Amino acid sequence: MFKKTLRALPIALAVSATAGLSMAEAPEDVLDKLIKKTNSPYLTQSPQNIMIMPDNPAWLVADEGAILFRTPRGPKNASLEKCDFGKGPGVLEGAHVELPRYFADTGKVMDLDSRLVHCMKTLQGFTDNDPAIKKKHGSDSDIMKLQTYIASKSGGMSWNPPMNHPMEKAMRNAGEVMFYRRSGTMDFSCSTCHTQDGKRIRASVLPNINRPDEWTKAISWPAYRTSHDHVRSSQHRVLECLWQMRYPDIRNGSDASIALISFWTDAARGAPAILPDLKR
Amino acid sequence: MYKKTSTAAAVAATTCLFLIVGGCSATSTGKPEADKPEAAKAAPKAKAVDYAAMSPKALAEYLIFESGSYELDQPTQEGTNGRARLTQDDIQKTCSLMKGENLSDKTREKVSALAAASIKYPEDGIKLGDWKKGRELAWSGFGYRTAHNPDDHAKRATGGNCYNCHQLATDRTGGNIGPSLTGYGKIRGNSPATLKYTYEVIYNPHTYFACTNMPRMGATGVLSQQQIADIMAYLLDPASPVNK
Repeated sequence: MFKKTLRALPIALAVSATAGLSMAEAPEDVLDKLIKKTNSPYLTQSPQNIMIMPDNPAWLVADEGAILFRTPRGPKNASLEKCDFGKGPGVLEGAHVELPRYFADTGKVMDLDSRLVHCMKTLQGFTDNDPAIKKKHGSDSDIMKLQTYIASKSGGMSWNPPMNHPMEKAMRNAGEVMFYRRSGTMDFSCSTCHTQDGKRIRASVLPNINRPDEWTKAISWPAYRTSHDHVRSSQHRVLECLWQMRYPDIRNGSDASIALISFWTDAARGAPAILPDLKR
Repeated sequence: MYKKTSTAAAVAATTCLFLIVGGCSATSTGKPEADKPEAAKAAPKAKAVDYAAMSPKALAEYLIFESGSYELDQPTQEGTNGRARLTQDDIQKTCSLMKGENLSDKTREKVSALAAASIKYPEDGIKLGDWKKGRELAWSGFGYRTAHNPDDHAKRATGGNCYNCHQLATDRTGGNIGPSLTGYGKIRGNSPATLKYTYEVIYNPHTYFACTNMPRMGATGVLSQQQIADIMAYLLDPASPVNK
């Protein structure tokens, strides 16, 4: 009898974990409400993309991430179920909308990407050269599968990165300076493209950082990019913007990248996250 | 037992702290990044400094140049490196206005004077080039991107990026970060004064619009004098689709 109960326990836990996803709101519903509220041309620019959102291929990637998350892996043969994303070990509900944040165990402000890598190293024993960690981009990478799954547990919740620790404020404020800082061949800063309403690069409507209800879509990553046929991360967005700006490569998980992400997440504070999103 | 464990933990934590500090002082020996193994490159030197004690500007500069965040040695098409791309000149520094910050009249004059001084004029005078070449230059956004996917200038000509921000002829879709230039020559004609003004705006627009978003295409060497002449023809030649 006792043994039977023990055997049933993990099953019961697994079932309750799956049932738990009801807290997150479907991204297409979140977007629909934002469009009705703002009528923002950035949010409405692609009717096709809005139409296919319920069939977002990112969900398949998230499903693969859910399996990876629970599977014992790596040299330590451990799952990621004890990984603390800021709300306690294994708590994924609403974790992503409160990142980046300060982690006492590393003494650093970390984003989803870097925190995930940290757990894969400490809990599972992976190293930088293992493919599980080394491959940072693409729907077929473990990192993107896991990020998409973890972030999907924050759909519809309001962005709320903590600003209580001095390091969190310092990184956010440095990120703000970097956002307005002009350099490179073309004198670009992030603010060149992202501080006005209804601006376009050619046909693409640009999001305005001063409009949280619009900006939330810009920072809702992971998102499936139709033009790439891959799910992409916040880190990938930083990379691509800086490339267009004629800047050199920024390293994945670097403090400069996290400062920028801290600032841009703070700018969306209070607006609901669209996760996983689908973009051009 | 419990007490012993927590003491041991504290000792371990302190040792770890020393190791971190030790590791940091070892990285500040001035050794070039390239000499270090990959793991050392990725490890932030940040622990040696207190981010929270720095001003936002000082921390931003630290993160850009000292924290190992950027590939500062990455080569560029102009023969410099990533560090040079991230280093600000006077105009970039002055024009990095934060939200709510405005340009004072004095600064505006300073920026305009700096910009005007940067302009070099063609020896044989400002003339219109070939509008057909100018049309392609205005459309192309190729050139000077480095990072993970560097533009190979040997394989493809660099462009002027005009359509990214401006509507020009209506047969192609332009952006709207800058004003529409449709009918530019039709409105202005092509007197010597208009030619000079147009050349100067393309070469260094801060001459007239201090701290504009527009790149300094001549001053930075992205466009040659001949390429500027071709783009000017696209803007001003009565035969150009911009003026149809």
